[in-house]
Amino acid sequence: MSTRTYKKFEASDSGDIPDKMTIYQDCMNQFNESPVNSKRCRTLLSRLLRLLANGETFTESEATALFFSVSKLFQHQNDSLRQLVYLAIKELSKISQDVLMATSSIMKDVQNGSDLIKPNAIRSLTVVLDETTAFSAERLLKSAMVSKHPTISSAAIATCYNLLPVSEQTIKRFSNEAQEAIVDLKYFPQDPSNTEFYPNSTFITQYHALGLIYELKKNDKMALLKLVNQFAGNNSIKSQIAKVQLVKIVSELVNKDPQLFTQFQPLFNNWLGNKFESIQLETAKLITNFHATHPRLVAPQLFSIAIATLQNLLSVPRVATRFSALRILNRLSMVTPDHVAVCNPELESLINDSNRNISTYAITILLKTGTAKNISSLISTITKFIHEVSDDFKIIIIDAVRTLSLNFPQEWKSILNFLIDVLKNGEGGFKFKNNIVEAIIDVVAFVPQSKEMALENLCDFIEDCEFNEILVRVLHLLGKEGPTASNPSLYVRHIYNRVVLENSIIRSASVIALSKFAISKNDTSLRESIVSLLKRIANDKDDEVRDRATIALKFIDTSTANEPTSSLADELIHPTSAYDLASLESKLSSYLSENNDSFKTPFDVTNIRKYSDDELKAINLKRKQEQLQKGTFENGMESSPKMAKKSDNKYGKRIDSDTYSSPNIDEQQQELLDTKYSDELLSMAEFQNFGKLVNSSKIVALTEPEAEFVVRGIKHIFKDHVVFQFNITNTLTDVALDNVVVSCNPEEPEESQLQELFIIPIERLLPSAEASCYIAYSKTEDVVTESFLNTITFTTKELDPQTNEPFEADEGFQDEYEIDTLYLSTGDYIKSSFIGNFTATFDELPNEEVAVYNIQESITLQEVVDKLITSTSCLPLENTQFVHSDTNSHILKLFGKSALNGSKVALVIKLIKSSKGIALKAQGKAENATLCSDLVNNLI
Amino acid sequence: MSQLSLYSVHAVLLLDSQGNRIYTKYYNPPHDENNTIFTNDSNLPKTLKKQIEFEKSLVKKTHKQDSEILIFENNLVIYKEYLDLTIYLIGSLDENEIILQQAFAAIRDSLDLILESGIDKKNIQEHYDMVLLIIDETIDNGIILETDSATIASRATKPPANEPQLTLDLDKGLMSAWGFAKNKLQERLQQGL
Repeated sequence: MSTRTYKKFEASDSGDIPDKMTIYQDCMNQFNESPVNSKRCRTLLSRLLRLLANGETFTESEATALFFSVSKLFQHQNDSLRQLVYLAIKELSKISQDVLMATSSIMKDVQNGSDLIKPNAIRSLTVVLDETTAFSAERLLKSAMVSKHPTISSAAIATCYNLLPVSEQTIKRFSNEAQEAIVDLKYFPQDPSNTEFYPNSTFITQYHALGLIYELKKNDKMALLKLVNQFAGNNSIKSQIAKVQLVKIVSELVNKDPQLFTQFQPLFNNWLGNKFESIQLETAKLITNFHATHPRLVAPQLFSIAIATLQNLLSVPRVATRFSALRILNRLSMVTPDHVAVCNPELESLINDSNRNISTYAITILLKTGTAKNISSLISTITKFIHEVSDDFKIIIIDAVRTLSLNFPQEWKSILNFLIDVLKNGEGGFKFKNNIVEAIIDVVAFVPQSKEMALENLCDFIEDCEFNEILVRVLHLLGKEGPTASNPSLYVRHIYNRVVLENSIIRSASVIALSKFAISKNDTSLRESIVSLLKRIANDKDDEVRDRATIALKFIDTSTANEPTSSLADELIHPTSAYDLASLESKLSSYLSENNDSFKTPFDVTNIRKYSDDELKAINLKRKQEQLQKGTFENGMESSPKMAKKSDNKYGKRIDSDTYSSPNIDEQQQELLDTKYSDELLSMAEFQNFGKLVNSSKIVALTEPEAEFVVRGIKHIFKDHVVFQFNITNTLTDVALDNVVVSCNPEEPEESQLQELFIIPIERLLPSAEASCYIAYSKTEDVVTESFLNTITFTTKELDPQTNEPFEADEGFQDEYEIDTLYLSTGDYIKSSFIGNFTATFDELPNEEVAVYNIQESITLQEVVDKLITSTSCLPLENTQFVHSDTNSHILKLFGKSALNGSKVALVIKLIKSSKGIALKAQGKAENATLCSDLVNNLI
Repeated sequence: MSQLSLYSVHAVLLLDSQGNRIYTKYYNPPHDENNTIFTNDSNLPKTLKKQIEFEKSLVKKTHKQDSEILIFENNLVIYKEYLDLTIYLIGSLDENEIILQQAFAAIRDSLDLILESGIDKKNIQEHYDMVLLIIDETIDNGIILETDSATIASRATKPPANEPQLTLDLDKGLMSAWGFAKNKLQERLQQGL
């Protein structure tokens, strides 16, 4: 190629990238020229790499041709050209074939190259070697690893690390060299030729070596412990980043074996006082994460030192440090807000930080640590602040306020005022407004006192709202809550305005909302006005609106007629219960797919679970509480990265998923599973005549999760029957179980009120399969509580690995396996339920029962509370499910309804912790006296 | 566990203020196809189209914000905005922020060392070969190789001098030699003045 065309692109170096094919041609020509012009070649290579870095690609044949030409440049001994050659080789090897041909040239450089070029050569081995050739570099890599030159040694270790997936066997032999690389402190040799920069060894080789050793030994707990003990105590690790790696290894160790934590406590103390902030942070992260899963193993003193360390880091000038400390505190504030409260002064000063990320974090933490005392002042601070930040931050703050409303229902006034203020005055997009409306809907749902004020303001809001979706939601809320308010006619006016002014979607939503006011109990005079309004709407030009109006009129007509159908019409206008949507969906889709008589049999909805309003609220509240507790600690749990990722996708655009976590996936799956089990049960012929399934318990583990046979039990309650379902998983790999039967024996056979009816055994349970065995009992209509001793009996048969069938001659032998006791308790008959005003309801309930317990085990109050909530299956109210960690007493308020007849039951449980154990006084009140005494007397 | 992996950096991006690419590198653990040891926990986009979308929205998010560090689409992003370009380093959410900050500072400071007139788009493009070397010497396949900026800068070679062309060609006769010497002498004298 001529110099002229070359020159043409010289100028373009600073501007746009030249055309891909021109570069390709230039490279092919220039690289094959002899002698090689090193300067031009380097410029060309740099352009080629720029093309690749910009996302251009070459076809495989082009890339192979390029690769071949580039490797010709190995003839030229110029370090500065060679460095670029290596870069090009690394990039091109991804798309070209025959990359192996460069190996010998690279190997030559690894052996005889200058100190400058050696590391580049070594690192490029990553891309040219594969499973079959990796061993050939073994000797070279080994000697490079123990080189005194830090960069060479690091390059060799990094390359080994990169090669691990393809040649684990070879790399495994390097652990001695890697160990040596940690101990050996490598300095740069004095190099008189390089006068421009003065390299200063950071001993980062230690980090690489530590990383490699961990990968080699990660399954060997003892080796890792030895590693930690060797390097943690003394000062032999100089590299900051290697020390952080060491902290991470310890974190991994204690998470796998929590008992190790105590032994490391002095070390943690030491690390928290380390001069490097990164180590302080990593250690604090370790301690706080561990505290979330194993609170009892962390000495309170250590925990408070960790918090104090974080607190100090909040006031350092470095942004990354503050940010990191805030992230940890934020996570912590969701679980134990009271511990974080000591940092409040620092957090308050961070509200005005120039970095918006930091100020938003500070505010969200403050909102979570807020106590009843400072909430209103906090809210007035945010009110000033919120209009200045971007939409994303606003949403985070709104979410935090929303949690606040769940935690401090008594502060609803200031919270609601704040929400209404931002709703009316805040500038923002759909997402932002929608979040506020959702928050208000939450407040209305869980704090009944706030209803009128919230509704009035929402009415004002919809007069001037540009988002259809939000309007429809508000209209629905008005229709649902409006008729029971003290002055329903107020809302009718606002809703009718929508009918006059808005588009058809909103008009049809308004019609539904209006029709609900017709049966309002508070203002019977409304009915006629509504009817006349609806009659007018029935002439609307839109089909949907007209249809809805007509049908609503018909319903109202029927419900006034005082006929037997009138209550049905009421129900249709104002439904009091909703179907379980997940199970409805699955039923409907199976109905569609089966279709054996071209839909002659109508779809049967009676089997689908229905939830009443209160139950739905209870479910929602529970989910939100659990979100607060669990979802936030996903980082600390071992098994959750996948789960976290799933939820991340859902909330993809959220700028920070850990300020407000998405619904816990596990929990949802659990619910789906529940529905699935009950569906399975109801579809079996044997259970058809048992009638409606009243309640299903949570899944109870009856064995250790790592046992040979993992058994989990579910109790299904019918009106006159009880069915135990045992899900058995065979974890053995080569044995099938035949005729698996669970035999349940009541602990006190004479007094048993249950009659065993039949057992449905599992015919064959193949390895790693799960199947269910059912046992049915008949019972009286009352609440029956009993405990059962369970044994599984089965015939084991060895499997032929070829066919995966048992050997024909194998008769197998009988075996037994004992599993834990299954308790049928009063809690199984109770469904958790929500009530807005607990104290008033509690006082009204007629029957009272009091019981006192003493627990002598050493467990924390929180654990007792958790146990009580599960055993009673009631809903904790007024945020009493969290125990402040520094108190010795607690009051738990629980509310539920009987699954059999829906009678209410409320419990107030007072707990006091002393040196002797925990004293517990339960006061139960219920509509049904026996239920009350059963529940209170069988708490534990 | 992913957080113990040495592959702590998921991407290094140099984008201009419109979000156009100057340099981009998304790191994936090598030998990914038969990889049973490392799980790739990077949740950055894989296809070019998605990557460009991601970059555009990242620039939008960080432009004129001056916040150095943020969480963006579940990635930890450390960045610095210059007059007409921004340098980004992206890592996983679980990584120690300060470690990533150091890796970022290593790139930033060594660029500062080798680019005599400071970091801007034109300078980066003119010394693209050295920029490539700086980033390659700091991060290898996502592993942080070095955090000392002087070490990194000392390892990024300058382009070779224009060797054969500069040597004096005697064939062209004494006159040209004399002319060359004269020119040189003049230059020196001027510089001396």
